[in-house]
Amino acid sequence: MALDEAFSHRDRCAIVGIGSTDFSRDSGRSELTLATQAALAAIDDAGLVPADIDGIVRCDMDAVRPNDLAEVLGLPDLTYWGEVGPGGTAPSAMVGQAMAAILTGQATTVLVFRALNGRSGRRFGLAGPEAATAAAGGYGTYDEFFLPYGLLTPGQAFAVMAQRHMLEYGTNEKDLGHVALTCRARAAANPAAQMHGRPLTMDDYLAARMISRPLRLFDFCLETDGACAVVVTSAARARDGRRPPVLIRAVAQGSVPSPQPGLQYPVLMRKSITELPARAVARTLYRRAGLGPDDIDVAQIYDCFTITVLIQLEDYGFCAKGEGGAFVSSGAIDLGGPLPINTGGGHMSEGYIHGMNHIVEGVRQIRGDSTSQVAGADVCLVTSTPLPPGSALILTAA
Amino acid sequence: MDAAAPRLVPAVDDRDTGGFWEAARRHQLVVRMCDRCRAVLHMPRAYCHLCGSWQGHWEPASGRGRLYSWTTVEHQVHPAYPVPYTVVLVELEDHPQVRLLGHLPGAPVLAAGHPMQVWFEDLEGVSIPQWEPV
Repeated sequence: MALDEAFSHRDRCAIVGIGSTDFSRDSGRSELTLATQAALAAIDDAGLVPADIDGIVRCDMDAVRPNDLAEVLGLPDLTYWGEVGPGGTAPSAMVGQAMAAILTGQATTVLVFRALNGRSGRRFGLAGPEAATAAAGGYGTYDEFFLPYGLLTPGQAFAVMAQRHMLEYGTNEKDLGHVALTCRARAAANPAAQMHGRPLTMDDYLAARMISRPLRLFDFCLETDGACAVVVTSAARARDGRRPPVLIRAVAQGSVPSPQPGLQYPVLMRKSITELPARAVARTLYRRAGLGPDDIDVAQIYDCFTITVLIQLEDYGFCAKGEGGAFVSSGAIDLGGPLPINTGGGHMSEGYIHGMNHIVEGVRQIRGDSTSQVAGADVCLVTSTPLPPGSALILTAA
Repeated sequence: MDAAAPRLVPAVDDRDTGGFWEAARRHQLVVRMCDRCRAVLHMPRAYCHLCGSWQGHWEPASGRGRLYSWTTVEHQVHPAYPVPYTVVLVELEDHPQVRLLGHLPGAPVLAAGHPMQVWFEDLEGVSIPQWEPV
């Protein structure tokens, strides 16, 4: 018996509240204010008051610390706090850490949040502080093997992976375009999406400027100011909530053999650069959930770049390795297809809250509240699986 | 790369990777190798988990490689790196599990598997291995 069967967390916790700020290019307010607004919205959505929150989990790249939020929200008795990273690999695992705290009696009601001024503040699309000094890297970062050559952003690294995927499997630019177009089409129905009212055609996609070949402008996610938060509690407590609880069927984290050190660029030294840790995450997640890819009604797939989605669709078993391009071009990820994805518009077109808005949208789907609702959606996959490790969760109706 | 801003140079004083740059200063390409089982340890580190040895050395490599993947950067993100330029990912011929980066100006036409040859670019106080198509 696997350890996760002996100590199963299946359906033992639930998300009872969700909250988001507006998504913009310039919020005009601090990350602490954004986090506070999302937290208050999530707590209210749960039918709770701030004093009910006794745990907080943050992302390692967040500017806001647990005590910042505890102070501003006036939490009288914070008994648990935690942190997961790096960055976009965190959100599903943050929910998992909240569950771990609840199931071990360290907290009863945990706030999980991500807040960032991703456009008006520190931009992921620009060379970061690690490239601000003349001597790059060192101190265990391994960046000295990458930055001096002009590999300076995550998008450039994913472009190298996309090129390799094209070489190995014949994936083409229109395949990537279908991911961008699908997300944009969902944003058309979501008034809160940054790209709402901004339709995108394949001609538009192909005509957009190259950023890092073969990735064009619309292969990149947005850079967004905003915040999202969710409230996690036990399934038993969740029954008393304002809204029908959304059960957390299972959570998983995963890595690969020889994951390589460093924050991101050394993943280009892995045996395969056309596979993400999503493959390992999927194996553990499906086992813990007692479900498989055929059981997933709708999915929120981490989409920092189009290629990231395409690889994950393969890794999560929705199509065979190398067939992600044909899969997305078949319309499979569209509304009405077998696997509608990123129904709020995703990072590509709703906003980039570093994986957290995908969890919020997953909850909306199970509640039946999405602006692109999938009829009868009972099982939603949410992934937090860029680089270098990853996490994911499955939400189900109670 | 004749931009006004100074190029980024590698930090050469990391205790696990400094030997790579020390060899590069002498225009020699090396990989980290376990003394006991001769496993290549890349990215470089002190400990070999395959045999448990802490003893390693810097093994000379041939300097020949093959093009594994690449990207041509057309949107500038750093003043010292004017676009377009191409970042190449090269696998070493004699140690195919080792890949290293290189920087080519412009947007050359490239093909996977193309033979690549190392050369050393002398920067301020340091030399870095670069790769050019053969």
